[in-house]
Amino acid sequence: MAENFLAAQDLQKSFNGNKAVAGVSFTIGKGEIFGLLGPNGAGKTTTIRILSTVLDADAGDATIGGFSLRKNPAEVRSLIGVCPQDLALYEELSALDNLIFFGRMEGLDGKEARSQAMVNLALMELTERAKGKIAKFSGGMKRRINLAIALMGNPKLLFLDEPTVGIDPQSRNKIFETILNLRDKGLTVLYTTHYMEEADRICDRVAIMDGGKIVAMDTPLRLRSQIGDPDKVTLEDVFLKLTGRSLRD
Amino acid sequence: MKNALLVALREVKEYLQDKADLAFSLILPIVTFALIYGAFGGSGLFHGTAYVVNEDTNGIYAQQLLNSIKKQDSLDLQLLKRADADNKLNRSDLTMVFLIPADFSDKLNLGQPAQLTIMQRGNGGQDGQIVASIVSGIVSEMNQQFTVAAQVSQALSGQNIPPAQIAMTTMQFLKRESTNPLVGIDEVSIGSKPNTVKEFLPGILTMYVLFSISLTAAAINDERKKGTLERLITTRLTIGQLFFGKFLAGVLRGFIQTLILMTLSWAVFRIFTPFSFVETLLIALLFATACSAIGLLITSIAHTGEASTWVGVFFTMTMTMLGGTFFTITKGTVLYQIGRISINGYANDAVKTLINGGSFSTLGVDIAVLAGVTVTAFIVARMLFKAVPQGK
Repeated sequence: MAENFLAAQDLQKSFNGNKAVAGVSFTIGKGEIFGLLGPNGAGKTTTIRILSTVLDADAGDATIGGFSLRKNPAEVRSLIGVCPQDLALYEELSALDNLIFFGRMEGLDGKEARSQAMVNLALMELTERAKGKIAKFSGGMKRRINLAIALMGNPKLLFLDEPTVGIDPQSRNKIFETILNLRDKGLTVLYTTHYMEEADRICDRVAIMDGGKIVAMDTPLRLRSQIGDPDKVTLEDVFLKLTGRSLRD
Repeated sequence: MKNALLVALREVKEYLQDKADLAFSLILPIVTFALIYGAFGGSGLFHGTAYVVNEDTNGIYAQQLLNSIKKQDSLDLQLLKRADADNKLNRSDLTMVFLIPADFSDKLNLGQPAQLTIMQRGNGGQDGQIVASIVSGIVSEMNQQFTVAAQVSQALSGQNIPPAQIAMTTMQFLKRESTNPLVGIDEVSIGSKPNTVKEFLPGILTMYVLFSISLTAAAINDERKKGTLERLITTRLTIGQLFFGKFLAGVLRGFIQTLILMTLSWAVFRIFTPFSFVETLLIALLFATACSAIGLLITSIAHTGEASTWVGVFFTMTMTMLGGTFFTITKGTVLYQIGRISINGYANDAVKTLINGGSFSTLGVDIAVLAGVTVTAFIVARMLFKAVPQGK
């Protein structure tokens, strides 16, 4: 078992009296892709927002790379990259300008930011569109730029909040390839998705959340084995068994 | 500081890339300037057009009347065909047309009264009435000439002087009188002449700086809407740096607009000296910092773009009205006292003082108020942003 890069302990967060995250604890090993699955409103995004220092937890804490969220948020920020669920881009600027700007915000100097931006654009096969305005990009291209920005500053832990929503299979495949390659280079990834086959394909371990709590956590294979023949049972079957079939808002 | 500057530069770059935003903030001051120039930039004297239908095309007196109209500095002459004039009057394209009838000169030659007809829609409009007065004056002068010539001819009849000589001598005297009248009009202004440009330009200048309140108020909510605020929070950029960057961007935009308007004003109205131009720019810069800080205060409280824009617009309009942008508020009145809560009132006063030749050293109160508002609003905004739930 690799050493833990992230360790969350009893994280809690309420909004207007409603518990969005109700005591979440888990660990992620260095170089591991950890999937956080759950229906709408399960608390996945709130958990990511707490871990990425956007929100303060009401209770509990987490360490990332040995730094406490509560005590050392600035150090935590220097280790993480965030690819938010909604595209977070400056549409009027070019792809290159977006990457350079966020690179500078991650502490890179101008030259480093430009050079790393070009590497990340190449990684996403968008070099030729470097100077194109984001507003003119397709949804898939924007998603790839969204991920490329999250990689600026060489983060050690990457938060990917549903990075493949609404894109074509080619772009989705490119994102998977990139994530797996980066994992092989030692990057730790916390990945949330609604697509169970995605989680099954790329996650080393997954946690299934419901009602703000983790209801199951293991490798996809072991989770499938818990309810039947792992070759016949899908992760979606496990998910539905654990979270029920009732619709969520 | 470096990160704050990067945020400000990124915002200015985005603003320069956004054509609609750019057009609004840069072209609008130029349009306003053109309006000021149109309203106040001329000599201030009346200038109008006399539309005339001349049916007495070969008549000597008709021609004399037209020549007299042409000589008027305040009038342009435009000849029309009768049908065209009727058509334009019917469509209200024109409100007044003068008609010289075909028998105008013939009647005058015979010593009979001749009529110049004024055709008008309604009362002819204010400009039409002024043109009519001027033309009436010309007609009165012609009338006087005929009367004098007739009376002289009558008085000298039977003295063996040729009528042509009587007429020529009479005309020479009349001409001399018209160029050197015995009774003239002299204008004496009491006190200094009002200068509408100097009166209202400060208000227009500060109004554009005030607009930066709405822009800054929307700036952080725009980031929130785009999702980039959350992304920025997860970088090494601190909230303080983000705030200061937004503040700088607001100052820069307000200042750029003012610079354009002031440069145009200087070029056209010559109301600045190089020194007062620089001093006024400093006041504009200080005022821009106050407005930008207020914008941040609004963005800290209002958490949607719409809310921040509306609060910003309400604040801007209130300050504009109370600050004496569109009308002069007399010192010592109740309205003046109420207007003291308007920050642009202080900026207006300072700019007015400078463009009227006053000294920068007398602006201590105005500068202190603007600087105080900047510092207080910035600090309170920062605290509120941190304290208000969901502020981030």
